[in-house]
Amino acid sequence: MAHHKEIFEDCEIEIKEDTNLLINGKEIDYEHDRDINKWSSRYLPYTRYDSLLEMARAIAQHTVEFSNAKE
Amino acid sequence: MAVRKDANTLSAAERAEFVAAIQALKAEGIYDQFVLRHANAIMSAIHRSPAFLPWHRRFIFDLELELQRVSGNPDLGIPYWNWPSGSANASMWNDNLLGGNGDAQGIVRTGPFRAGQWTVVNASGLPAGPLMRAFGQSGLPTLPTQGEINQVMTVTPYDVSPWNLSSNPSFRNQLEGWIGPNLHNRGHVWVGGSMLPMTSPNDPVFFMHHCMVDKIWHDWQIRFPNQRYLPETGGPFGQNLTDPMDSTPSGQIGPRPIDVLNSAALGIVYDGIITQPQPAIPHIIVGANPTQADIASPGETDLFQFEIPSFGPYTMYTTGSSDTFMTLLGPNDPNAQVASNDDGGENLNSQITRNLSAGIYYLRIRLFSARTTGNYAVGVRSDGNNPNPVTELIIDGASINAAISAANESDLYRLNITTEGTYTIQTNGTTDTFITLHGPNSQIPVIASNDDGGASFNARIRRQITAGEYFVRVRHFSPIGTGPYAIRVTRE
Repeated sequence: MAHHKEIFEDCEIEIKEDTNLLINGKEIDYEHDRDINKWSSRYLPYTRYDSLLEMARAIAQHTVEFSNAKE
Repeated sequence: MAVRKDANTLSAAERAEFVAAIQALKAEGIYDQFVLRHANAIMSAIHRSPAFLPWHRRFIFDLELELQRVSGNPDLGIPYWNWPSGSANASMWNDNLLGGNGDAQGIVRTGPFRAGQWTVVNASGLPAGPLMRAFGQSGLPTLPTQGEINQVMTVTPYDVSPWNLSSNPSFRNQLEGWIGPNLHNRGHVWVGGSMLPMTSPNDPVFFMHHCMVDKIWHDWQIRFPNQRYLPETGGPFGQNLTDPMDSTPSGQIGPRPIDVLNSAALGIVYDGIITQPQPAIPHIIVGANPTQADIASPGETDLFQFEIPSFGPYTMYTTGSSDTFMTLLGPNDPNAQVASNDDGGENLNSQITRNLSAGIYYLRIRLFSARTTGNYAVGVRSDGNNPNPVTELIIDGASINAAISAANESDLYRLNITTEGTYTIQTNGTTDTFITLHGPNSQIPVIASNDDGGASFNARIRRQITAGEYFVRVRHFSPIGTGPYAIRVTRE
């Protein structure tokens, strides 16, 4: 099983065994629609993504829990 | 009474009042409570499910009450974001209302909600930086067009099982944006930044966006008064008509979908400028070559109409390589379903053969899979010049015994009037019948109708009639009702 870890937008994204997603050590719940192979999460409720990593990066970038935008 | 207006049409004074009211609620901490109410709701309870529309109607209604309270203006309405004319250069994004796009980092630095003046909160209610926007930069570069809105406005029913983002055909799911042209979701994604997560009410445009969503639902409800909220029962808890919705506190109005279905009862009025929910419905000529059409985007539904001049057997069909699904509606009512079919034709085409009374009928065509696109052709043909003869009602003759034996069935009778006079047409029996009288000399014009004018639930028409050929159509009052009846016509 693949294990992926990267730093994106100052967040640590970790995907264990292609399924378990953690951002900054926090486990992220998500849904995978196997019929159309799309991922979605309550963190970004208006979009489906083509891969788990793409969704993880979007969560890191856009949710106020993880993004680091400063005035 | 609050009138909700197109945000781009607000006067300078109206803009200033709205902005001041939002800022006052922010200062009171009330605004952030709305952000948390949305952010901490169960996602599947308020999105991707039937309660999506009533939940957000109640949500923006509650904010509107707070805006009216803090402004002292009971007529203050939330303006709506008219997507077709609301792109980046629209006046709603000027500094006297919402401010504009974010900078290179996505930070909003113009308008009343700019960095330093407005701080967003996370799902715990803690400050989490400035408002962020990135117009058209998050994967969806354009906003919905009026044509796309009109397309969604044709879709019925309100929703269907499995009551989620796979539901099809479903007005709710098309408006939400999981199938079809994508309306609501696209607005969030087009703004980007703070409009992307569950804390999206951090951006005041959220309320204008959902005001537009609510306006479309409002217009759809007016256009299809017989289309009910679904599910009434049997859906997931929190989604049924009388279930309390998640994260909806007690308030001036109740927390159930049924409590918010009637906009007028809530005092909600839209200015009615933008939505034109009456797109022309293409005509099919009976007996002509099939009309070419296509499902250009997944989940799209096409609507056609055709006129049946006289009672008889007809076949409605599609041709081509697409797996079509057909629904027949009518007569003279685009909401009354007569029959539906998936693979009754050759290959995977749909086909319905049925005796039809005279009138206007509608065909709703979609592809069996909501995730595919494809071409097809649709046609209607008459199955013979001498269809089953129309039974004649003899004046002062014996009653004719008949039955409505299937859902949506109607029976047609001919009435030959040779002498002008007063005639009574009535049914007898235990079935709740509904009759219409057509003519003279045509099966189409309705000159009288009746539901319960007779004994019990029987129908009765008493009318002065000139000489000519007339037709009487009998159906069950309920679209799904069946039962025997007797019919007779007498002259005074």
